[in-house]
Amino acid sequence: MNDDSRYWRSLSERANPDDQAPTPEFEVPLEPPTSEERRRFLQITGASIALAGTSACRWQEDKLLPHVQQPEGTMPGVPRYFMTAMELGGAAVGLRVKSYDGRPIKVDGNPSHPDSLGATNAQHQASVLGLYDPDRSTSFARITGGAVQRATEVEFRVFAREHFRGLVERRGQGLAVLSGATSSPSVSDMKRRWQSRFPEARWYEYEAAETGHDRAGSTLAFGNAHRTHFDLRKARVIVALDADLIACRPDSLALARAWAAGREPEAGSMNRLYAFESSLSETGSAADHRFSLRSEHIKALAAHLDAELTRRLSPSGELGPAQPLPAAKFLEDEALRKIVNAMLGDLAANRGASLVAVGPAQPPEVHAVVHRINALLGNVGVTLHYTSLGADPKPSPVESLASLVLELSAGNVQTLLILDTNPAYTNPADIDFAAAMARATTKIHQGLYVDETALCCDWHVSQAHFLETWGDVRASDGTISIQQPLIAPLYSGKSPIELLAILSADELSEGQAIVQRTLGAVAADTRLWRKSVHDGIVPGSAFPRERPVLRALAPFSYAPNELSGSDVDAADLELVLIADPRLHDGRFANNGWLQELPETVTKLTWDNALLLSPKTASLLGVQDNTTVSVSVDGRSLTVPAMLSPGQAPGSVKLHLGFGRTAAGSVGGHSGTPEPSPLVGVNAYQLRSKRLWSFGRGAVVKPTGDGYRLATTQDKHSMDRIGKFGTQDRLPMLVREANLSEYQEKPDFAQHMVHHPPLLSLWKEPVKYDAAKWGMSIDLNKCTGCSGCVVACQAENNIPVVGKERVAMGREMHWLRIDRYFKGDPEQPETTHQPVPCMQCEHAPCEQVCPVGATTHSQEGLNDMTYNRCIGTRYCSNNCPYKVRRFNYFNFHEDLKDEKNQVKSMAFNPEVTVRFRGVMEKCTYCVQRIQDTKIRATRENRGIEDGEITTACQDACPTQAIWFGDINDSDSRIAKLKANSRDYSLLEELNVRPRTTYLARVKNPHPELA
Amino acid sequence: MQPFVFPRWTNKFVHLGGAVLGLAPIYVIGLVWYAASPKTTDVGYAPEQPVPYSHALHAGELGMDCRYCHNTVEQTGHAAIPATETCMNCHQRIHTRSPKLEPVRQSASSGQSIEWTKVHDLPDYAYFNHSVHVSQGIGCASCHGRIDTMEVVFQHETLSMGWCLDCHRAPEQHLRPKDEITNMAYAPSGGQTQLAQGQLLRAEHHINPPTDCSTCHR
Repeated sequence: MNDDSRYWRSLSERANPDDQAPTPEFEVPLEPPTSEERRRFLQITGASIALAGTSACRWQEDKLLPHVQQPEGTMPGVPRYFMTAMELGGAAVGLRVKSYDGRPIKVDGNPSHPDSLGATNAQHQASVLGLYDPDRSTSFARITGGAVQRATEVEFRVFAREHFRGLVERRGQGLAVLSGATSSPSVSDMKRRWQSRFPEARWYEYEAAETGHDRAGSTLAFGNAHRTHFDLRKARVIVALDADLIACRPDSLALARAWAAGREPEAGSMNRLYAFESSLSETGSAADHRFSLRSEHIKALAAHLDAELTRRLSPSGELGPAQPLPAAKFLEDEALRKIVNAMLGDLAANRGASLVAVGPAQPPEVHAVVHRINALLGNVGVTLHYTSLGADPKPSPVESLASLVLELSAGNVQTLLILDTNPAYTNPADIDFAAAMARATTKIHQGLYVDETALCCDWHVSQAHFLETWGDVRASDGTISIQQPLIAPLYSGKSPIELLAILSADELSEGQAIVQRTLGAVAADTRLWRKSVHDGIVPGSAFPRERPVLRALAPFSYAPNELSGSDVDAADLELVLIADPRLHDGRFANNGWLQELPETVTKLTWDNALLLSPKTASLLGVQDNTTVSVSVDGRSLTVPAMLSPGQAPGSVKLHLGFGRTAAGSVGGHSGTPEPSPLVGVNAYQLRSKRLWSFGRGAVVKPTGDGYRLATTQDKHSMDRIGKFGTQDRLPMLVREANLSEYQEKPDFAQHMVHHPPLLSLWKEPVKYDAAKWGMSIDLNKCTGCSGCVVACQAENNIPVVGKERVAMGREMHWLRIDRYFKGDPEQPETTHQPVPCMQCEHAPCEQVCPVGATTHSQEGLNDMTYNRCIGTRYCSNNCPYKVRRFNYFNFHEDLKDEKNQVKSMAFNPEVTVRFRGVMEKCTYCVQRIQDTKIRATRENRGIEDGEITTACQDACPTQAIWFGDINDSDSRIAKLKANSRDYSLLEELNVRPRTTYLARVKNPHPELA
Repeated sequence: MQPFVFPRWTNKFVHLGGAVLGLAPIYVIGLVWYAASPKTTDVGYAPEQPVPYSHALHAGELGMDCRYCHNTVEQTGHAAIPATETCMNCHQRIHTRSPKLEPVRQSASSGQSIEWTKVHDLPDYAYFNHSVHVSQGIGCASCHGRIDTMEVVFQHETLSMGWCLDCHRAPEQHLRPKDEITNMAYAPSGGQTQLAQGQLLRAEHHINPPTDCSTCHR
């Protein structure tokens, strides 16, 4: 049954396609909760409104508290939108935040921001929950030996004035600052002022998720550092070398949009994406050709490309000599050779319309050679361009931290100020930051949480969330965004620039004034300032483009492993350590939405696991759901193992950002008053200066212990006849073809299922002559990024249920993304399929509800009336798509605790908060439909196409999800429905789903198709 | 195998069943009477407010337009309770020493809101929007009764779902010209019946109120 053309969702399903074990007798397995589970679950339940009382308030007296003076331009219940930006790792994405009666409740992208274009990712969406996190630090604090004692701002200021006055006299000798990476012009300005006040002080920057290799690589190639910017719209052939272009760069949202623009087969031609990577990424799953290759082999592959392309294109001598052809054993692999040769042909044929990109984990020399390849292909100035990073050398994060630790250990630093970074947790194992910092006598920490680093300090200053402060940040292309506060600081926090102003006795203290001083000319021109704040970008502030001159590159010298074959050496595995796509370097660990978001490829929640390919695992004797011990360089760690298709043989991967010991009640903390279980394991314990992103030397040994990982993919299977039917129908669920097949038969998707004529048992009861809402999801554009899942959660007050519930299949996400593999598990093809409620016209759920809680609307929506639902779950059993979710518990019980009530501020007041025993599901964001209908009715007009958008549609970077009125023949949705690729899931059931899909069309190289 | 036979003692349930059946109509009548009583539906609910504000005086005798205070009713879902400054627009000159207005003055000087008690209180799962009703020609009085005669505001209608649906299914019974929305004493002019005029208005403005669940529940 292991026919390679088949689809499968998990390795166990692939191995036993006929296994009938989990029949849908019970849609979700029944397991009584234990008291311990229940307590844990109560600790972590996240996100919803308390909206006074839960049901009828007839006997409960409600109070109305009007303003004393109504703020100008505000009306109760009318949301307002403000632009701001969120920075991560030194680059910002512009956001448009919805403020409801003064509370920011929903984040979307700023359409005019170059790195957003209106889209957002899961981290942006989840930032609202972070703002209202009850575990955030709430005050200034004095910390002695890990014991936190609240302090007032006055106490801190008294201390700071005294202490820093002394430092001024000593010209800042013994003072050091450690900050996270930031692009903020104001921070740079404050830093300049700081240095003139404390000339002897040192400033270090540490960003655990960064490598600094791109900077070093461009310095190697051009003599000084440059940023690389891509324009994928102009690229016909894209090569990603260990580079997750559409997910892991600051401009990934914009790149994904540009990539998707070239994925419309209707246009006649499509771009072609090649990916070579050690672990399956979003880019890899979107690629037309992907090859699992250990990260260490990318270097020789890049050299091979350089050498071959130079030979084929014979450029003039100004580029310097090419790399000699590497004698790499892995390149002898027949399948790889075929792909590489086809790709070389493609690249050579598409000069000036191709792009080669390399990921940040790769060493600087690989970046340098890729700059040469792009120059060779004539891509510079077309599909990519450069901007200058300035002539000042900047150490890499690890060098920066190491030199600070050196200074600390030498006793040269007495006062250490740590701004918004957590090095006591994110330090590599061979840099003992906590021990070194104990040498400093005065340590001040600023952060959103009293985290691992704060507990090693003497003072903690609570930091204001970015939604609470004024600030300025730059996009990856340099465009400045002004951050404006959406709400006054909930806990009297300060922004880093405000703290720096206090400590350096600046004449200004307010964030807004500091930003205005920094932006000088922009702020002086009132109209320009107001426009910039309003639009969220300062016009014309992008970095100027440069055309750096390439220098001759030295030939690579290779370590033996870089040229080795792809065979697995069990005693010497490659270990890849990379920041988690959800928790980043661990800073979002206390965010329940992100912890519970299934990872794009593994569908793993609430844990990190050692990913290894099935082949590697069988060599090592490792099985799924067991723990293994990973040792490297004498350090070892016990972690759960997960067999992950697409992992390169001999390469194992572990995400950083888990195993926090002072994150909070969601992300885990081991301290007082009540410890909370840790989530995942701390992979930083395996990281070292040598093994920063990846490296050899890892040994993996099974421990023999079991471990239950909470994944979501095997749940909610769309089964007609139990699991054994799955194999037959998977090709009907995911329909794909190659471009040539599409061109031959554009309606291939409509002929993949044969069924008798679909006749209705009854006369059509509803005519749908007003609006007819529908959704179209383009599988050709979906990258599986999961931004939509969190957007839906934020919009619709969907609770967080915790690891144990997820493991039981009781996660509440209304929108799930099914991920299907096809073919060889070592080199799988991957497809993502978002599945919301289909809003069937002949909805099976409606027919079985005994109380009329789910009914059909005149516009074709399956309305869900929560207050009628009595929780029989018949509807869910009868749903062929398995998109209904049941509240097994009151997931908002934690809001009874006064401390947690702040969470209720995150909720959308336009959506009911559901109680225990109630069924719920996707509503097509019916609150938005109603709101727009009301507005249109009031203004005596019709609804325009595109006026109503769903939350998932708003978030989607590639615009794969589209919603609208099918009755409006000019609407985009009507055109999408008329597309020849349009097909319905399980159309043979004649339920007439309103959500339909556009079949995927891949564009493989003709020789490889 | 022996067929199952009910034991003899179960016979008394037959007689008991007869008694239950006899009492059933009384129970049903009682249930309906209780469920529909003003006590249950809250009709007539008139909580005491922190300020003894008289709608009869302001809206009735003085003839102030509803929208002077409830100024958001045409644009938003809420017919907002006015801010303290709205009261003070007049009352910093009129009745400046009235003890009844003490909470208002206190609010204006301290910046603390006045805590009014909600009279018309729908359950949290029902989403009502004032603006769309007002813009389509449903007068204030249709739901709130003759506010201009109320010394103390009380709930005039049941505000039950059935009551909402009665109008959504037959809006002509309540539709009035759009310039008569806040006219409390409005009656169709020219000897027209409400029904006839309502039907005209309904046709003219294409008024088809939805009765889908998601109209109010979401």
